[in-house]
Amino acid sequence: MADMPSEFWAGWIVVITVTSFIALIWFVRDLYRAGDQDTGREDEVWDETLREGARPAPVWWFWFILALMTVSVVYVILYPGLGSYQGVLRWSQGGRIAERFVDYDAQFGAERRRLQALPLAQLEGDSDAMQSAWRVFNNNCTSCHGRDAAGQARLFPDLTDDSWQWGRDETQILETIRSGRQAAMPAWEPVIGAQGVEQVADYVLGLSAGDSGSPANAEGSALFLQFCSACHGPKGSGQPLLGAPALDDEAWLYGGDRAQVIRSISQGRNGVMPAFGSRLDDAQIRLLTAWLSAGARIPDER
Amino acid sequence: MNFLSLHRKIERHSGLLIFGILVVSSIGGLVQVLPIVLDDSHSAPAAGLAVYSPLELEGRDIYIRESCSTCHTQQVRPLLAEVKRYGPYSRAGEFAYDRPFLWGSKRTGPDLARVGGNYSDAWHHVHLLDPRAVVPASIMPAYPWLAQRDADQGRTIAARMRTLRMLGHPYSDADIAAAPAALEGETELDAVTAYLQSLGRSMQGTPQP
Repeated sequence: MADMPSEFWAGWIVVITVTSFIALIWFVRDLYRAGDQDTGREDEVWDETLREGARPAPVWWFWFILALMTVSVVYVILYPGLGSYQGVLRWSQGGRIAERFVDYDAQFGAERRRLQALPLAQLEGDSDAMQSAWRVFNNNCTSCHGRDAAGQARLFPDLTDDSWQWGRDETQILETIRSGRQAAMPAWEPVIGAQGVEQVADYVLGLSAGDSGSPANAEGSALFLQFCSACHGPKGSGQPLLGAPALDDEAWLYGGDRAQVIRSISQGRNGVMPAFGSRLDDAQIRLLTAWLSAGARIPDER
Repeated sequence: MNFLSLHRKIERHSGLLIFGILVVSSIGGLVQVLPIVLDDSHSAPAAGLAVYSPLELEGRDIYIRESCSTCHTQQVRPLLAEVKRYGPYSRAGEFAYDRPFLWGSKRTGPDLARVGGNYSDAWHHVHLLDPRAVVPASIMPAYPWLAQRDADQGRTIAARMRTLRMLGHPYSDADIAAAPAALEGETELDAVTAYLQSLGRSMQGTPQP
């Protein structure tokens, strides 16, 4: 039976439903058409007056079941229920939610399109828009970046500072939110060895502290130029297009102590920002971008 | 035939009565359940739906072991608010390779049907080991042992895949032969993360609803 076509099952449903409905009509009709069939036997009397075969049943019961049967017939005419018959109203669950989206668009669409068309600089100055932006952030971003957008768990970057791995200008932020980011810092220990990693770590920590090119660490400097500068730049100033963070500032996503820096170099880091392009609409993404550009300040509660 | 004489006859023959009860009580099932079970068009896999990889399958079994479905549902209902929050509502074909379904019935935590790709693997690792490290208000328990246990300690992955193949999951002999090696060196944490990242995969990028 498993390979029967859908039409067979539609017919199956129609036949069983209609047959049982007709049987019900037959049952009710007989109850009222048959005369009293009192058997006259003393042992078939209960509760003083209730006798086996007593007819007809009370009239209120007849109206009650007639009403129920009418409702079920009307239902099956209006709504899908009888095999593949769609019903007069052509109601469907998918159609229902599509209608709700039309209502939703009627209610909020104009405002969304207005926000979408505004230049980001103007959005930043609109306190209502910034309230909405913060809510969008709260619903979608806080589980990684934290409620105050200051980053968390030494894995997710601080969005309130100026050190932005993938760039802080608006087109870059828009791109980061829409398409996501995948960082690709390789593991360097197999290439430069454990000692090399330590030398580079010391050199990089020196860059961060401001004493670039300390002569005491010529090996670290040479290794850095050879292996790291392609992405991080010869002076460690970073390259946002590649997601290579600046190393000459004090911001350290994965921790700035020597052990963490060594871990980052030896095993690599591959941070991932998921793409939100299909989860958020354009208005939401622009709101977020404006809010982040303006410094990710939490608006006053109202 | 008169219904009342039939009634009288049924009432006096218990075998007939049992038969009558079975017929009447089966009608609902014959109409509502049987066609859905037997009509293949209801159980066809959604376009783009892949069977679980060995690591994802292992993660799914750990998800069941840890009773994640007690607090997390995996079904987005066709309601505006749910579609807005989670993404496209769930389709029957998405669950073709879920035996048993893990739809759940209560949301203490959020629905997970669309969680795949929503967070990085690193986030799942931190969050499973210590939920409060990333979501301070979370009431989810921590699962620190997941990081310490190797995946598939019972070495049963191949047997589980063969069983699923009997039920119609398209695993090839090569898939099954390669499965134990695929779990080599992976922890239960990796397995659960892989499973969570697979949820909603076939519907990813679908515009709402």
